[in-house]
Amino acid sequence: MSALEPGLEPGLDDLARQPPPKPPALSPALEAELAQLTPVATRRPLRQLALLIAISLIYGAGLVVMLTVRRDLHELPMGWLVSTGLAWLLGFVVPITLATVPRAGSVMARWRLAGIASVVAAVAMVGLGLVLHPAGEHSVSIGWDGVVRGYGCLAHGLETAIVPVVVGTIFLRRALPVGSRWIAAGLGAGGGSLGGLVLHLHCPVADGVHVGLVHGGVIAIAALLAAALMPRAIELR
Amino acid sequence: MAEPRDLMQRYCDGDAGAFRELYALVAPRLLGYLVKMTRDRALADDLLQQTFLKVHRARAAYVRGADPVPWIYSIAHRTFIDETRRHRRAVVRVGEAEELPEVPAGLTGESDDRRDEVRGDPELVTAALDALAELPAQQREAVVLTKLDGKSVAEAAEIAGTTVGAMKVRAHRGYEALRRLLGKPPARPAARAGGGS
Repeated sequence: MSALEPGLEPGLDDLARQPPPKPPALSPALEAELAQLTPVATRRPLRQLALLIAISLIYGAGLVVMLTVRRDLHELPMGWLVSTGLAWLLGFVVPITLATVPRAGSVMARWRLAGIASVVAAVAMVGLGLVLHPAGEHSVSIGWDGVVRGYGCLAHGLETAIVPVVVGTIFLRRALPVGSRWIAAGLGAGGGSLGGLVLHLHCPVADGVHVGLVHGGVIAIAALLAAALMPRAIELR
Repeated sequence: MAEPRDLMQRYCDGDAGAFRELYALVAPRLLGYLVKMTRDRALADDLLQQTFLKVHRARAAYVRGADPVPWIYSIAHRTFIDETRRHRRAVVRVGEAEELPEVPAGLTGESDDRRDEVRGDPELVTAALDALAELPAQQREAVVLTKLDGKSVAEAAEIAGTTVGAMKVRAHRGYEALRRLLGKPPARPAARAGGGS
């Protein structure tokens, strides 16, 4: 887009044509820093993303083993198990990718898209849980009690989310001058979705309200917590 | 002249000369943006130094191959916002004391020896700067970036950390407000007198 429109107000037109002012000499503080300049390893977003995914998946798998796999696993439709598992995985990978990997040629991560992905992931997984929740012979059904007493699942989901959020924050620490809250929300939503995947493989409660509101709700809560707590660590101040 | 991304890469590899070249390349434009935002040359100089100090300290966050200029602008934007917030807090404290007179911010406070030579009609430029200073910071920034500094709406949105839609709205509203302000007498006759170029 051109800087000056044909109808730009007189005065503004003059202002736009001013030559850039002459900058001052470097400050003593900057000169002192430059005097001891050393090479630095710059950020490698794809490498960081691969590490983040690998560490988080290993941690998530460890949690599933520790918490035990759900007892009704072999009774549930394989198509639902796999496709819902992939949906949780997608909900993990997409916001995390948008939060850590900038578009080509840019330094700054795609915070707007990360924010949108967080909202979409939370809404989609709550909706999916409410609509699709097959039960097996050994599944548990406790109705609305599953929501009221869902803090165990919520805690496990948030425990899972901690690792992606913390590792992502370490990778992005002091890196972003703008959009840090949305980036934190993206990391939180991704972590929450990994938490949902762990619960998908662990929790035998098959009520829609529990699967939707508690398991899906982990994404929203993790995103909100991360957005509230992490921006100061990510922000370039 | 070397590209900013090449200079930034060499600088990250430990070449202090590349930093100086990068400063020489980017600092004038950035200072122009900061002067228009603050209307205070001394403050703009200070914010420029702070911005480059932050760039230096955050250079490990740079992604090789990327254009560092929007990132540096964003850091300048952030620095300006933080300074404005600090300034607001300082103004509240002064107001509570009810002893010190109000000090107008802007170019009027700067010493003449710091002033850069003005091209065109200085009265028009001053009128435009006055009008610009009356805009809310977000609208001012949108106008400065998109109308005066030649950034695309997308670039300006990235720098300011907002959406393209919001940046369009801010630029439009800011520009409309500027037109109204510049249209007020006695600024109008002065604007017309020098507007024939």
